[in-house]
Amino acid sequence: MSRIWAVAVNTIRQILRLKIATAFVVMLFVLLPVMGFGMTGDGTLKGRLQSFVSYGLSLTSLLLCLLTIIASIYTLTSDIKNKQIYTVITKPIKRYQLIAGKLFGVVLLGSVMLLIFSSLIYAIAVSMPRFLNSSEQEIAQTKDEFYTARASVSPMQQDVTKDVELEYDKLAKSGMLEEVFKKDSKQQIMEQLRKQKKLEKSSASVGSQVLWEFHNIKPAAGSEGIFIKFKYDVSVTPADNQIFGGWLIGDNRKPVKEIDTGVYDLSRKDSVGIAHEIKVPANAVAKDGYLAVAFFNVPLNNTVVMFSPIDGMEILYKADSFFANFVRVALLIEVKIIFLAVTGLLAASFLSMPVAILLCLVVFFTGSISMFIIDSFDYLNEGVAGFYKYVLKPLIQFMPQFDKIEPAAFIVPAKILSWGVFFKVVSIMIFIKSLVLLFIALLVFGSRELARIIV
Amino acid sequence: MKYAVETISLTKVFSDWWGRRKVNAVDNLNLKIKTNEVFGLLGPNGSGKTTTIKMILGLLNPTKGHSIVLGGKSTDPKINTRIGFLPEESYLYQYLNARETLNFYAKLFKLPAKTRKDRIESLLDMVGLKAVANRPVGMFSKGMARRIGLAQALINDPDLLILDEPTTGLDPIGTRQIKDLIIQLAKRGKTIILCSHLLADVEDVCDRISILYGCKIQAMGKVGELLKHTDKKQIITSNLISEEALAKIRGIIEAEGQACEISSPMDKLESFFIRTVADAQKHLKFTSGAVSTTEIGSFLTADAGKEVLEKLVSETAAEDKPVETSKAESIKPVETDQALLSDLTQTSEPIKSKAVVKTETVEPTNVPDAVEEDILDELVGKKRPVETEITKKADVSGDGANE
Repeated sequence: MSRIWAVAVNTIRQILRLKIATAFVVMLFVLLPVMGFGMTGDGTLKGRLQSFVSYGLSLTSLLLCLLTIIASIYTLTSDIKNKQIYTVITKPIKRYQLIAGKLFGVVLLGSVMLLIFSSLIYAIAVSMPRFLNSSEQEIAQTKDEFYTARASVSPMQQDVTKDVELEYDKLAKSGMLEEVFKKDSKQQIMEQLRKQKKLEKSSASVGSQVLWEFHNIKPAAGSEGIFIKFKYDVSVTPADNQIFGGWLIGDNRKPVKEIDTGVYDLSRKDSVGIAHEIKVPANAVAKDGYLAVAFFNVPLNNTVVMFSPIDGMEILYKADSFFANFVRVALLIEVKIIFLAVTGLLAASFLSMPVAILLCLVVFFTGSISMFIIDSFDYLNEGVAGFYKYVLKPLIQFMPQFDKIEPAAFIVPAKILSWGVFFKVVSIMIFIKSLVLLFIALLVFGSRELARIIV
Repeated sequence: MKYAVETISLTKVFSDWWGRRKVNAVDNLNLKIKTNEVFGLLGPNGSGKTTTIKMILGLLNPTKGHSIVLGGKSTDPKINTRIGFLPEESYLYQYLNARETLNFYAKLFKLPAKTRKDRIESLLDMVGLKAVANRPVGMFSKGMARRIGLAQALINDPDLLILDEPTTGLDPIGTRQIKDLIIQLAKRGKTIILCSHLLADVEDVCDRISILYGCKIQAMGKVGELLKHTDKKQIITSNLISEEALAKIRGIIEAEGQACEISSPMDKLESFFIRTVADAQKHLKFTSGAVSTTEIGSFLTADAGKEVLEKLVSETAAEDKPVETSKAESIKPVETDQALLSDLTQTSEPIKSKAVVKTETVEPTNVPDAVEEDILDELVGKKRPVETEITKKADVSGDGANE
């Protein structure tokens, strides 16, 4: 271990001499405070906080990831190119120890930088209301919707299988299938019908209502309220872009007189296409974690109101503190740093510095748009099924999926990143993918010639 | 363990990117380097010396054959704990200073903190870099970098020391110091492989040599045996001998029908240079470069409890002792510095005293001239025409009586 530590310390010193490392550090020290007090978001305190933390964490993540790629590649390729490796590897140090030391040094430096800059972001974020002289109302809003970590529960998915089959038969008998769906396969038609039926189930025609049922809502002890987050979609947009809605929230399984939890009846007017939140006391939730939410489409609206099955309706409730959530989100960046450090060392074990950096940048940026890439290749699946299934798909799955663990996706909506989800990410990214890459790097580096032949 | 290093059919073929065989770097090399031997690996540029060393150390994979180092594989940490290696250039981390550099390498050997500290200070002292120990090695001259490179090779007190062109870039004092160090280490039972094309360096210290050319061994054997002139004899005496006695000797030899040449032997330029610098050091002349104390690290000497081994260069100069760097079987010291200095500083009036004649047979060699040439070339940065021993003697003393 002492040999690994010696290499790690030397690696850190080596990286700190890189001008690009200095540039990144200076950039972050200057930009983060400027962003903190210069970004206005939508003008509200919550908007400012969301913009700052979102961009701050994203910028920190981007720069530290790039620095990790460059540093991990430089530290190994430089030793080989400048031949310091001759004097190191001929000492009693195994090649795997050298790689481990380099990895340790790169990750340790990245971790310290992450600690410094995430602490800076956190400090600015929590002190911002004080510096901006925000109103009590704004502070209360940010307390509920930003300085918290809320779990979300989506409504139970209704089974639409029978409805879909009936609709398909009906269309088939009437001979409308080909006319409507043209040359689509049965599977594709069924999928489209399923989406259609689901949307119907979460739509309210004029004068009718939609009912959602939620289970397993467990607000943290001492929580003041829960939040019904919704977004209207309409068939015909009203002139003022507003929808009147009647909302009934509580436990609907018993007659009203027997209900021992709170039931809340609200009427409100909200704009279309934007997410809104209704806060109700936490006692609306039954002891077994059940909650029903009903929306009544007031006839005055004169349009069908729809709630997207994806993000049209969900329940949010406080499940942890802002600090704990912030720490876990920052640790997601650490996961990215570890993965990229291993990738960099693997690339450096057989490629020259420019080529290795290029390869790692390709991995990094494709990992940042992995969902798009996976969807694109799913579409290609039709033509090259076998190749896709056995070659391309495993390769794509092995690529990092950074866009799924973007810090902003958790911090901006104050969405909790549970330890369970965090450890799942760690397991996949570090204990499976990174370890496999590290193993390959050790194999390659362990067998390659470190000297050049001079004749 | 009879052999410290043994190579069996060691072969390295250089292939191009497509894997096509291009150049034979080393071909079927069978070396047997005995334990406690100073072995010289000689050859012109591109003869495969460095490639051989790199294969022995595991930096290159042999195309065919293998090597056994200290009874095992050189890549095994148990084995390379006992190896010290100085590559053809001192490849050091430019941002570390001299002390940090040695500390880094010492940590790779897991040396205890106290031992580490002691050895580092001792080595810094030995290579004359103590005064600049906190200067980044990136700011070192080539010779200074070479010195710290040597120090890192010695940090573990190795049983096998592999030195690839160790004297490149070094001043004559440093060169001399390395040669003396090699001799001292050999006395302690260490094995040393010296890879060089500076023949004088190799000749002065090596027990055996091997000459590589065209990827193969062209000659191998003891230095004395390889260099011996079996058809010539040499008589050495002090310069107090009278002209009459010399004439008699000449007459006896010529009476047997043999040719006879009488001249004064030359001191080595190396010795003269070292004396000059040592004098300057005595007068505390400032230098921003390396200051050669010329003491060997105490942990490297035969008896660690004793004082540092005899001071090599400065003491030599101070006491005006003859230079005795060579093996007994190859070169014998022929004259004391005191005698030469007297010749140089006093009048040409002959000194009347009883001649102490010491006559012995030694093997003459041409190589010392080569040494002087090399050092001079380094000093003046150009080539000089080769001078005969007699001519040089005449230039220095102006005394043509012996010609």
